[in-house]
Amino acid sequence: MPKRTVRRNARRKSAPFAGSVLPGFPWLEKWRDQLALQYSLLSSSAARLWQSPLASTMTVLVIAVAIALPASFHVLLKNIRVTSSHLKASYQVSVFLKPDISNEVGSRLADKLRQQPLIQETRFVTREEGLRELQGYSGFGDALSSLNFNPLPGVIGLTPTASVSTTEALENLTHSLEKLPEVDFVQIDTQWVRKLSAVLAIAERGIWGFSILLAMGVVFSVGNTIRLELENRHEEIVVVQLLGATDGFIRRPFLYSGFWYAIGGGASAWFLVNGLVLLLKAPARELAELYGSPFTLSFLSLEESAFIIGISVLLGVSASYAVVAYQLRKLEPE
Amino acid sequence: MLEFNNVHKRYAESGEILSGVSFQQARGEMIFLTGHSGAGKSTLLKLIPVMERVSRGQILFEGKPVSRISRHQIPLLRRKLGLIFQDYRLLQDRTIFENVALPLMIAGYSPLDTGRRARAALDKVGLLRKEKRYPLSLSGGEQQRVGIARAIVHKPPMIIADEPTGNLDPELSIEIMNLFKEFNRVGVTILVASHDISLIRHFGCRILQLHQGHLLTES
Repeated sequence: MPKRTVRRNARRKSAPFAGSVLPGFPWLEKWRDQLALQYSLLSSSAARLWQSPLASTMTVLVIAVAIALPASFHVLLKNIRVTSSHLKASYQVSVFLKPDISNEVGSRLADKLRQQPLIQETRFVTREEGLRELQGYSGFGDALSSLNFNPLPGVIGLTPTASVSTTEALENLTHSLEKLPEVDFVQIDTQWVRKLSAVLAIAERGIWGFSILLAMGVVFSVGNTIRLELENRHEEIVVVQLLGATDGFIRRPFLYSGFWYAIGGGASAWFLVNGLVLLLKAPARELAELYGSPFTLSFLSLEESAFIIGISVLLGVSASYAVVAYQLRKLEPE
Repeated sequence: MLEFNNVHKRYAESGEILSGVSFQQARGEMIFLTGHSGAGKSTLLKLIPVMERVSRGQILFEGKPVSRISRHQIPLLRRKLGLIFQDYRLLQDRTIFENVALPLMIAGYSPLDTGRRARAALDKVGLLRKEKRYPLSLSGGEQQRVGIARAIVHKPPMIIADEPTGNLDPELSIEIMNLFKEFNRVGVTILVASHDISLIRHFGCRILQLHQGHLLTES
């Protein structure tokens, strides 16, 4: 009952301040009155939502789920992207030397390459070391020892600097290495990284499409709730129209209702998404540790949180606006 | 103040309800509009605050044509009128005070002014002590007095009442009509529709008689 507070205030102030409360500042008074009016509308619309807790909760939850779904996909994707960029930074490039290159020449080449600005580290693996490693790792030990020659070339294992971050830069480096006379061929395992980023790009687009569908869901759900509220208060609307209420006056409490639904829905979505991250954080860290990766799941950033709440409010308020405008048109005199 | 020029109102379903109605009401005049039910009294009254649009003809309020005003101008026109209905049209979930304060809130009065004016209006109809009650706890006569307080709270130059005593017994009806007469004495223009000829004869005001959509000779 917001008007009751207004009335109390009026009574309290009436005696000593009759007339102008702030002489010389009529605009200030106007602002104060407006503020008082907006506040009373805001609190009365909130109070009205409390009167039908089940219906309001349902609407809030529909908004929450509709926003939490794409938001959690986004968080998942963001985390995967961070992880895959870690992977890119730790590429290994294997430079296979021609079979007739001796260990001394190979070793010298490895030292020379290390001087280059794009290369952080090199490690020369001699033909013999390569053979030993292979015998140790694979089950080919017997087969290899039955050969009376070493079929393996010398290899320079090479780590590019962090500045070689794009696939393009990496390929440029590969090409320049392949032009060296001692080099037979160069191998990098970029294929799967590329595939992963292609998949991520598709997923990202998919999430946008999905988000638009769910945003429409939010609009329809808020719109429908507001429409029901309008129908319940049809009599009241007709009366205040007859008393000279403008569309804006009638619209305002419904915009505030939409605002409350949206704020509630957006905030619930925020809790849902961060709750999900919290739930997955520990197992994800365990998994990452198994792979020796420092990766941890991150929560919604400040910007993302503001975006979620903001988009939710925007959708809720504009849905309310549209529904009220449509219903008011229907009440026009013939 | 108010002028009807050859006003017609026709509905697709029920045909012509008003045909060629013309009359003038001077500022500060009180007029009764009478006729059988279905004669078109309510329709005539609805045309003034543009609850319905005129089919043909012209209505002038304060010299300006209301028949052609845009949707956005309607609220401002209605704020110059005090409307009173047979079924009171009070908001049941608001107190008497809140009902009476509604036109002031709509017009953007400050809370201070609103409180003062609403109480003055309630005082005028003798219901100040019941301001915290809800409409349903009041008798029919009291509810109509709340309706009247709501109609006069913003001091409109004209009051339009559609069968204000339709649901009340004769004694209360006279009381309500006397209230109108009182407002008229301080200069408010009043147009009251009522089918109760024996009641309205007492007041010595001009009476317009509608019969099947036509205005009969004035008495």
